[in-house]
Amino acid sequence: MSPASPPVRDSYLDAGYTLWSWLSTHDHKRIGILFAFSITALFFIGGAAATIIRLELLTPAGDLVSEQTYNKLFTMHGVIMIWFFLIPSIPSTLGNFLLPLMIGARDLAFPRLNLASWYLYVGGALFTIGALVAGGVDTGWTFYTPFSTMFSNTHVIAAAAGVFIVGFSSILTGINFIVTIHTMRAPGLTWFRLPLFVWALYATSLIFVLATPVLAMTLLLIALERWFGIGIFDPALGGDPLLFQHLFWFYSHPAVYVMILPAMGVVSEIVACYARKPIFNYKTMAMAILAIAVVGFLVWGHHMFVSGQSVYAGIVFSILSFIVAIPSAIKVFNWTATLYKAHVMFHAPMLYALGFVGLFTLGGITGLFLASLALDVHLHDTYFVVAHFHYIMVGGAVMAFLGGIHFWWPKITGRMYSDGWARFAAILVFFGFNLTFFPQFLLGYLGMPRRYHAYAPEFQVLNVLSSAGASILAAGYLLPLVYLLWSLRRGAVAPANPWEAKGLEWSTQSPPPKENFRQTPIVTEAPYAYAPPIEVAK
Amino acid sequence: MNERALVAHQFDNAAQQRDAATLGMWIFLATEILFFGALFVAYAVSRIRYPEAFAAASRLTDVTLGSINTAVLLTSSLTMALGVRATGLRARRAALGWLCATALLGIAFVAIKGVEYRHEFTGHLVPGFDFGYAGPHPAQVAMFFCFYFAMTGVHALHLVIGIGVVGVMLVRMWHGTAGIGDRGDLGYESIEMTGLYWHLVDVIWIFLYPLIYLVSRA
Amino acid sequence: MNQQRHAGSLSLRAHFGVWVALLALLLLTLGSAYLRLGWANGAINVAIAAIKALLVMLFFMRLRASRPVLRLAAGAGFVWLLILGGLALADFLSRG
Repeated sequence: MSPASPPVRDSYLDAGYTLWSWLSTHDHKRIGILFAFSITALFFIGGAAATIIRLELLTPAGDLVSEQTYNKLFTMHGVIMIWFFLIPSIPSTLGNFLLPLMIGARDLAFPRLNLASWYLYVGGALFTIGALVAGGVDTGWTFYTPFSTMFSNTHVIAAAAGVFIVGFSSILTGINFIVTIHTMRAPGLTWFRLPLFVWALYATSLIFVLATPVLAMTLLLIALERWFGIGIFDPALGGDPLLFQHLFWFYSHPAVYVMILPAMGVVSEIVACYARKPIFNYKTMAMAILAIAVVGFLVWGHHMFVSGQSVYAGIVFSILSFIVAIPSAIKVFNWTATLYKAHVMFHAPMLYALGFVGLFTLGGITGLFLASLALDVHLHDTYFVVAHFHYIMVGGAVMAFLGGIHFWWPKITGRMYSDGWARFAAILVFFGFNLTFFPQFLLGYLGMPRRYHAYAPEFQVLNVLSSAGASILAAGYLLPLVYLLWSLRRGAVAPANPWEAKGLEWSTQSPPPKENFRQTPIVTEAPYAYAPPIEVAK
Repeated sequence: MNERALVAHQFDNAAQQRDAATLGMWIFLATEILFFGALFVAYAVSRIRYPEAFAAASRLTDVTLGSINTAVLLTSSLTMALGVRATGLRARRAALGWLCATALLGIAFVAIKGVEYRHEFTGHLVPGFDFGYAGPHPAQVAMFFCFYFAMTGVHALHLVIGIGVVGVMLVRMWHGTAGIGDRGDLGYESIEMTGLYWHLVDVIWIFLYPLIYLVSRA
Repeated sequence: MNQQRHAGSLSLRAHFGVWVALLALLLLTLGSAYLRLGWANGAINVAIAAIKALLVMLFFMRLRASRPVLRLAAGAGFVWLLILGGLALADFLSRG
């Protein structure tokens, strides 16, 4: 790694410098970067909503914004962060960029469909931002009926249309990834030689194609109800709000596995590299990924325990929710076993991965609290739930996303960033995150309800701690923007394999050429074939 | 297969490209099954809750036109399958003929559906626009017709798209740029994919037909 | 090469045979609807619809001659729909 060597000149970045060359590209690597820009922009909008929420919650009284505005803020925060940030984040940025590289292919199976995915994302985002600008939506990201269909005076259909459109972005990505993995693996790359990140993308794509269409129809039904006043979901006309919830959560529960599985894949790649060890029990890890995806479709009723759902159905969903925790737990044990007696290098990506393992464990276990029927009666719609899912989605998925960005940054950009600053940012994020969300477990357990802009005075101390944490977290998120962008101009030129990692993506130059590989690679070894450190006799 | 068919740069060979296309299309069809299926599940739940209302409402639909339409669509699947087969056998005129028949049958279906819709409009059976039902459970009869219009409407939209795609394939085959011919850069593949989509639209109607028209005819 | 690739292609006779079967099933489902069979009417209609769909998928859509992953994709769509319907109905049917 020599600072004096000139940047690589014939990479995919040099295949055209105009804006149009980017907007009309079929190159999966460029499309991944287009997605990265878009989701970052949407992340900041969702983050702005969160900022105002945390400012409001500094004081018990609802004195910063009206309750209507507050409803719109948490709705927009949820809609944007879930559909326009978390769900596309790893698959459409890192997944798009890395999948063909990891399997030795020149591109995805359907490059034009890939570009269409991005345009659909942008179209959906424009609809949703339009709804925001026109006055917002106040139904909560869950669009529960009959409020969303009968009583809300806000721009429900515009927001639902935005989500409908971006859903097709996911579906196309899912089709593309599944077909690519099935048909375009390099010679010698059998299924059980695939990196776990590829397994994770595969399972995620299965969820994309099987769950998202149901969401699409559900959103269409909301629109029909609002336009024509039909009563499918309205009790006054003989309809059933729980029908909506069943349809909605059939998608939205698997959606959370869409958000976490790619993150788990990233963590496996990082842990193996910086522990210099193969992932412990690779086959079980791959099977656990599939198990999470499949069993994740059977548990959605745990969002409806207190909604009026039959108690027998509740019991079934509760048992299944306990079962789905098992493959996740297996993965945590296997990462731990991988780290056991490993010679760990604490680079920034590894800090994020380690943070993931701990925070995901906490988030996952608190999920079991919520899966217990009796406990959920007390905890449903409190801040306990809010803390639980933020531990998984932020403490888990976002940390893994940041870890992955750092891990593959040299490959994507051809530049090295400052690891000192990166480690500082990672620690800041970890600290800020815990300060923000751990108090929320306590708040929820003490009974503070979610989605309220005012609260009882005894909850103030914990809320202030949470808001303070949020400011630190925000700083931790902004820092990478600075040093990563700085590295594009001033960072050392990256070699092909700065971390000496295993994986086909590291065997090509940084950044890769447009066609990915000068010659199609042939795979002969198992994944993560890291050599154990040799003990040198003194 | 047409030896001069182009293989896209990301694929190693034509066989890989074809495998990818068929798998991609089938996964897309699975998404369509779930898309319509969600609507069917909503319908099923509502019907279980209001059996008499749904029965009464179903009797108001035109079972004659609905059954004729089912026969029309089943026949269009036959002609589509024969068109795909002819394409594979490089029988250009036969393929053109069968594809044309498919499109015409599709148009016939839409026309008959239009007649049915007109009956429903003049019969004041359009919830949200003009609904007046004198019998018992009017709100749930309205619910049935909401499902009726949603299911048949979304289906018809898919059918119209299918007719459009068949039309495009017809034009390209006529000019020799698809399926068969000297400048065949799409190959048999695109006709086969069109066929798969068309058949799925038929399969959806196969389930739709009894749910709408045959709830209670006895 | 053509013959080899389209080895799964049906004969002309088989195509028409499937079509005749589909129309016969249509008449069967329509006719059975005029018999007073209570809940069995619905069950028969759905069963016949499933058979018609299978005929179209296996023969017109060539699933019978296709590689397993395609059949898996088609099957997954229906199985997942059964999951949605089954567990949702489990709620509706077991409410007090």
